[in-house]
Amino acid sequence: MQPPPREPILEFHDVTVAYGRRPVLWNIDLAIDEPCLFGIIGPNGAGKSTLLKAALGLVPLAGGTVRFFGQPFAEVRGRVGYVPQRETVDWDFPVSVSDVVLMGTYARLGWFRRPGPQEREIARESLARVGLADVAGRQIGKLSGGQQQRVFLARALAQQADVYVLDEPMAGVDARSQDLIFGVLSELREAGRLVVVVHHDLPTAAQWFDRVALIDMRLVAAGPTAAVLTPQNLERTYAGRLDLLDELGRAVEERGRTS
Amino acid sequence: MTAPAGIEPLFAISHNTLVVACGVAAVGCGAGVIGCFGVLRKRALVGDAAAHATLVGVALAFLATGRRDLPVLLVGGFLSGLAALGVLVLLRVCTRTRDDAATAIVLSVSFGLGITLVSGITARGIPGGAGLEQFLLGHTAALTTADAILLAAVSAAAVLLLVLSLKEATLIAFDSSFAAATGWPVAIMDYFLVALVAVMVVVGLPAAGAVLVTALVVIPPVAARQWTDRVPTMLLLSGVFGLASALFGVAVSAVVPRLATGPLVVLAAAFIFAVSFVGAPERGWWARHRRER
Repeated sequence: MQPPPREPILEFHDVTVAYGRRPVLWNIDLAIDEPCLFGIIGPNGAGKSTLLKAALGLVPLAGGTVRFFGQPFAEVRGRVGYVPQRETVDWDFPVSVSDVVLMGTYARLGWFRRPGPQEREIARESLARVGLADVAGRQIGKLSGGQQQRVFLARALAQQADVYVLDEPMAGVDARSQDLIFGVLSELREAGRLVVVVHHDLPTAAQWFDRVALIDMRLVAAGPTAAVLTPQNLERTYAGRLDLLDELGRAVEERGRTS
Repeated sequence: MTAPAGIEPLFAISHNTLVVACGVAAVGCGAGVIGCFGVLRKRALVGDAAAHATLVGVALAFLATGRRDLPVLLVGGFLSGLAALGVLVLLRVCTRTRDDAATAIVLSVSFGLGITLVSGITARGIPGGAGLEQFLLGHTAALTTADAILLAAVSAAAVLLLVLSLKEATLIAFDSSFAAATGWPVAIMDYFLVALVAVMVVVGLPAAGAVLVTALVVIPPVAARQWTDRVPTMLLLSGVFGLASALFGVAVSAVVPRLATGPLVVLAAAFIFAVSFVGAPERGWWARHRRER
């Protein structure tokens, strides 16, 4: 007997999203079958973050379906870790770094149960992985932007998920934090996890991601990074912004030489 | 030696006064604790809209029953407070009125309606209606022992509910989109937290009145935030600040007749706020001023 065909890890089928009556994403068809570092790339206002939020049920779909492991997101939430944009929260909020990371364990704990030694151990390990073990007790507003982003990543690690979804994790982040975050994401891929990252910077996208999707309200192209980030595709996505394209051409060449 | 006219001797505190003081102190404490989440969720003014709207329900409850029975009046106030919050949500959703404008509209219109009802009742001389304006500025001297026990019990229940769901409330107040993505019912929790604030606003009416009771759920939390970087400590401090403010208001208005309790409570809270704003270690103005030099 044939084994059943494997479901894609993440699949968008004909997804359309509208804010009010204004559509921001049209007929997105995208399937990711293998664990990898997957970049969602496009200009500002292209709907990249909206696509992630639609996948996580945070904005309603005007049409189409999203499936994780062949199931609706609500059925498999526990297998999906989420890193929202850093600016969406108030960093003056009176919680410590380890308090925030512990929030990654709350869904598994359920109603009214408080984190115990096991959860604290998970939080400690997650913080150590992003290099923040020594600031665990600090109030979150006292960290740098890059450290704050790593706190969010640690919280997602504490979710112990199979798929990680990150919204602009490299925005406004110092070089050391970028390297650290990219290192952790690579480890996740080696451990067989799918990592989906919304990213706006083309040169680094060409270096970091195994596969990318180019999006500008519609899906322009998707596939292996080198095959997708071609001048023609980029022209269609970033119509008329050629200086950007030159920069990217150099970055792609450099990647070709180093790998 | 006799006490000066108009001022009762301090040592003649009756059993009732003592119970009322304890009850109102419990309300102040509860309002301080519950108010923390209004402030942390950046919804400080929502409680104010509910507070001003309570007057409508108090007046209607009086008209319906013809008696000035505190529990009944407060239930009326709670229902009209909730109704005002419902209108607030509807305004926002259906007419796309911005939050601040919607709050101001609901607050002023419902308060206007409440004042009209209360002054109408007073003007027509309906028996027992004369005391209703005490809900405007707060007047604890009129409370009975049973009233005070009821207020304290409701406050304690509200605090207990919040403490039980402290983990969930903190998560939602800090990062609602992460909470939603990880499966928590954010909208329901939000309604729950707002309803708790509405409860505290209603039981705070006898202490501070519809106009000023919002100060009880806003000032102690903001003052407490100055001293700590942890939610549980903030709740505790805010409760202590609310308790102290309420006690001060009750004590002074008990000693000086015809002085409304609400303004005294607010002034005491404002004093604590001022001290916190200037003198708190690290976040206080003085500490920051010294660091910058």
